[in-house]
Order: sequence, then C-alpha cells, then structure tokens
Amino acid sequence: MENLYIPATNETPEINFNFSEHKLHMSGESYPENAMAFYAPVRASLHNYLSNTQPHGEVEAHFSLKYFNSSSTKLIRSLIALMHDSAQAGKRIVTHWYHDPDDDMMSEFGNDLKDEFRMLDIRVVATEPA
Amino acid sequence: MNLSHFADFCEKAVKDGVLFYYKGEFSQNVVATMSDTLKQRLDAVGVSGPARRKLFSTFIEMSQNIMHYADVDAGNGSKTGALAVGKNGDAKYWIVAGNPVRVEHVERIKQKVEPLRSMTIDEIKAAYREQLRNDEHEKDSISRGAGLGFLTVAREASAPLEYQIVFRSDEQEFADFYLRASI
Repeated sequence: MENLYIPATNETPEINFNFSEHKLHMSGESYPENAMAFYAPVRASLHNYLSNTQPHGEVEAHFSLKYFNSSSTKLIRSLIALMHDSAQAGKRIVTHWYHDPDDDMMSEFGNDLKDEFRMLDIRVVATEPA
Repeated sequence: MNLSHFADFCEKAVKDGVLFYYKGEFSQNVVATMSDTLKQRLDAVGVSGPARRKLFSTFIEMSQNIMHYADVDAGNGSKTGALAVGKNGDAKYWIVAGNPVRVEHVERIKQKVEPLRSMTIDEIKAAYREQLRNDEHEKDSISRGAGLGFLTVAREASAPLEYQIVFRSDEQEFADFYLRASI
C-alpha cells in the first residue's frame, strides 16, 4: 500500500508513515485551527494500514513532537489508541515518545500514554532538541 | 490618536511590561502571523525552554478560543478580540485575552473557569487526564474543540487563572470576557 508523507508546515507536523518498511514517524509542532481536518486522513491511512497488514508483523513508531495544542491532543492520542487496538490483536508495535528533557508536559504526556496503552511497548525518551 | 496620546500609550505599555499587543480580527492568517511574530519576540527577549513553550501554548489556546468563540454578531461579522503578552517586574510572564460573548453564554464560561481557580496543579492534571479520555465530549454542541482549552491554560499557568466578565451599559446582548494567565 502507498506510504503517507505530509511535509511539516508552521502549524502541522511532518507525517512520514513508511508502511512498506513498517516505520511510522511523526515530528514537529501541531496547532492547526482545525485539527480534525488534518488528522482525519492521517488516521484513516493508519487504520487502513493496520487492518491490511499481517496481524503479527512488527511496527516501529516514533513520535517526536515539540508542541501540540489542545485540539490536536485528543487526535494524537486517538492515533496511539488505534495502534494499541492493533497491538492487542497481536501486532508487535514498539513506540518511541521523544521529548525535550526540560519539558515536563511532554514527558508526562508520554508517561500517561505508557500507563494507559500497555500493549504498545512505549519508550519515553528524553532527547536534546535538534 | 494624536502623538501625545500615542506617546502616553507607549509609555503605559512599557510600564506594564507589554511585549506584544493586538486587537482586531482573529482569523487563521492573523493568528498564524501573530504566532511567528510572538516566537520572534520571545527569541529577541531571550525566553527559552519550558517558559517559552508554556507562553506559546497559552497564546495558542487563547487565540484559538477567540477564533472559535468570539461572537461574530458582536464583531460585525468577524471574530474579534484582544490579546497581550508581557512580563512583570518579578520576571513572571502574563498573557491576557478578551473577546465578546453572548450574555446567555456567560454562565457556561463561569462554570468552566471558576472551578479551575481553586484546584491544585495535581487536581488540574487529573481533570485534564479525565477530559482527554472523555469520549462523550463530542456530544457537546457548543464546544469547538476537545474541551481541553481552559484546562491546558490552567496547567501551564503558575497561579490560578483570573477572569472578568464586563457587561455593557449600552446593550444587553453581549458582554466581554477577559482571561489572564500568569506563566
């Protein structure tokens, strides 16, 4: 199936879902006024990928977000929830959640995801900003 | 505004530590341009790390609040509001925003903001988590987002949020809602 690549803008993150290599990357900032318009096709594409690949395959996911607004928050969480459903059905998904070491909000968000979505093998990683 | 009024205006702004001020229409383009300007302003005065993210996050939530909820009938067909960012003598940053709302929405706004004022940061974080997982929120026909806006601002702030509702003397349809966060 076709990979999904959306370049970053000031207000939206880069999406690099390399489905053929089973590597999903999302990075940058997310504060579009209409977050649903941005995330609905991303979610649809991820859903399509997760339901059309081998149920026991391995997937790597990398989230490297510097900032997201409140309306993006729920939608980003819903992408993770979607992956979690698939992990519960047997897929192995290793998820990395990167955050600036000084950014408590981002590290707490990652740790909350880790507590909530236990089947995803979420690794919360503090990294110096590039 | 004549020059002496403008000089007074500038002097007052400096005295209050204003780094940034805007009043007018809040469209997507305006907020995008303001975002870039504010980022440059913060870089210029050397705000970095968590304070920068918190300020920017609060700015975005308040601007998008105005874009979503400022009453268009009160702004001659557009979403209007005002926003300022500044720094106190004690080195704390503040953001204030205001926009017109319908008088019948005043109670709803109070009910959303008032409880946050007496909550501890841990209670705010717990309420944030609960709202994040609340799938019933989509049924709220007035809300335009995830229902996390005020909670996000309260979470970023270092002191309880302050707000004010100013009723107008010349008409009863609209009031002005002002919000202040100290970062």
